[in-house]
Amino acid sequence: MTETRNQVFADATAVDDPVIELESVDKFFGDFQALKEINLRVGRQEVVVVIGPSGSGKSTMIRCINRLEEHDAGRIVVNGVELSEDIKAIQEIRRETGMVFQQFNLFPHLSVIDNITLAPRLVRGLPKAQAEQEAMELLERVRIPEQARKYPGQLSGGQQQRVAIARALAMRPEVMLFDEPTSALDPEMIGEVLDVMKDLARGGMTMIVVTHEMNFAREVADRVVFMAQGQIVEVGTPEHFFTNPQEDRTKLFLSQIL
Amino acid sequence: MTATTRPVRTTTPAQWLRKNLFRTPLDSVLTLILAPLSLYALYLAARFVFVTGRWEIVEVNLKLLMVGNWPIDHMARISVTLVAFGFLGGIVAGLVHARQVRRGTASVLNMSRRERILDLARRFGLILFTVLLLLALTSTWGPTITAVGVVVAGVAGRVVGGILGRLHLPKPVAIVLVLLMLSTPFLLYFYLVDAVPLARWEGFWFNLSSAAAGIILCFPLGVLIAIGRRSKLPLIRGMSTIYVELVRGVPFFVLLLMAHVALEFFVPASIAPSRPVRAIVVFTIFTAAYLAEIVRGGLQSVPRGQEEAARAVGLSPFSVMSRIVLPQALRNVIPAQIGQFISLFKDTVLAGLAMSIFDMAQVASAITQQSAFRGQGLIVETLTFTAFLFWVGAYTMSRESQRLERKLGVGTR
Ligand SMILES: Nc1ncnc2c1ncn2[C@@H]1O[C@H](COP(=O)(O)OP(=O)(O)OP(=O)(O)O)[C@@H](O)[C@H]1O
Ligand SMILES: [Mg+2]
Repeated sequence: MTETRNQVFADATAVDDPVIELESVDKFFGDFQALKEINLRVGRQEVVVVIGPSGSGKSTMIRCINRLEEHDAGRIVVNGVELSEDIKAIQEIRRETGMVFQQFNLFPHLSVIDNITLAPRLVRGLPKAQAEQEAMELLERVRIPEQARKYPGQLSGGQQQRVAIARALAMRPEVMLFDEPTSALDPEMIGEVLDVMKDLARGGMTMIVVTHEMNFAREVADRVVFMAQGQIVEVGTPEHFFTNPQEDRTKLFLSQIL
Repeated sequence: MTATTRPVRTTTPAQWLRKNLFRTPLDSVLTLILAPLSLYALYLAARFVFVTGRWEIVEVNLKLLMVGNWPIDHMARISVTLVAFGFLGGIVAGLVHARQVRRGTASVLNMSRRERILDLARRFGLILFTVLLLLALTSTWGPTITAVGVVVAGVAGRVVGGILGRLHLPKPVAIVLVLLMLSTPFLLYFYLVDAVPLARWEGFWFNLSSAAAGIILCFPLGVLIAIGRRSKLPLIRGMSTIYVELVRGVPFFVLLLMAHVALEFFVPASIAPSRPVRAIVVFTIFTAAYLAEIVRGGLQSVPRGQEEAARAVGLSPFSVMSRIVLPQALRNVIPAQIGQFISLFKDTVLAGLAMSIFDMAQVASAITQQSAFRGQGLIVETLTFTAFLFWVGAYTMSRESQRLERKLGVGTR
């Protein structure tokens, strides 16, 4: 194991059993190219941390995976389903991918339990009682079962983000996408959210995490992906990144944030 | 933990005056100018109402003002309708209350008995006062019996609604109940037109019922158009925009006149709908355009992240709109929506003028021509009375909208 800990990968696609595959994905906003030739595969139960400077396309990349953004060229396959115009395929992929946003985006007009049970009831067709039972189990997992009947506005940021994680998990997704889940949190609340994410990773969840939390990357990431200007610049184990980064842009970025 | 009570601050009247009326020199000057003026206005108003006003004209014509030439034989149908609405309103209030108790968001739970009574008085005091005033002007027992009936039905409905809300009804039963409640207004409508066709609905009754119909009909239309303006399909988007811009560009009064006069050029008189129907159609078309703009503003006020989060958990586009975006959008613009409905309610008198419908304002001016009252300038009394009734209605709607807003927690999320 030790020799592989410090591994650098020539490309980001050398994975056996990929759950997510991105092949030559391009994305334009008008004339501006936000993603250039992105190639990435994420294996089952793998945790991939994405880092990179602001505007490098990290959010855009993971938002393409569940079609919050539409990619312009290339192929995206999630759990064997290729993303296309087909609304059925899109819905199926969204069912398999949970997403956690920087701004939580909880539904403010619904109680915590309703936030979590809404999609299972509407999309998975669960009866109310069962959906609520599952929701309570998830709230236990994110360690706030006592907040079930409150409204999002009555919770702290850290609690809100944990509800958001529970809401995403309620669809029993194959993959979880995190877009800077702790960036909007006060420092004292970051830990509680990262702990929940670490639990998830240990439980075998496949995860793509955009974050600036380097300790999280060091601790749980199987691979780290560094992006800059819409491209994947370097891929490696956390060890590799923190001891022996190859590219100049990576070194510059790491020197700025570490 | 010991409860600390807020220190009670006592103000002497002198302190109060100083603080509220004479805080700065400018305040003092304004007070010295405005206080006598407003006192004088108050005096004039009181003198008109209690001394110089000749209210016999209202007293004698009260039925005409309220329901026009509605046949006496069928007055009972109006009573039944009002009582039924009282019951329905009570049930809805009871259901809402039970739901809030279940969620622990009922504000009355934290109120003392005294505060609850004050709250009720504040909500229904004005209406109660108005009804008592009207009853005092009547000479028959019918209206009094009806009023008592409405109150009793309202209280009974409230109790029944509270019980229904606490029971865990099986879904089919709940659906049947909701359908029953939704169909009641329509059943009542047929019950009424069975005796008196819509074309003969007059007086305040016309203003009230046509406003209610307009509000109920324009709401779905306005919401659909607002959503249509955000559609990805250019045709739907274009049509919605054209609708709004066309309707908003034409004066309401002209629309009413067109519906009254011009329609006959296009549609044979034999199949053209009656005037009140046309009026309601115009109300609906017109208010829907404004409502669409209001709702569009509401839709824009919902952060993009809400829609994205809803899509990300796999909700269908319909559910994203109906469960997440629309509820928040509508909630954010409650005051503007109610404002539009209040406008419609008041503007129903324009239909009276434009389409020669014998609405309350028309009655108010016509009765001054009766031989007993002609040439005595009593239009001031009849119009004051008319204005007062409309004000009570509009003010009640405005108050209830503020209450609704508070209940739904707008701005406190
Ligand atoms: N909807 C949009 N319209 C136009 N340009 C956009 C849009 N979304 C993103 N961009 C641009 O695409 C680029 C990549 O954006 P993205 O949000 O993916 O960056 P990021 O790596 O997530 O940055 P950050 O760390 O600030 O979140 C940026 O230059 C951004 O300005
Ligand atoms: Mg981002």
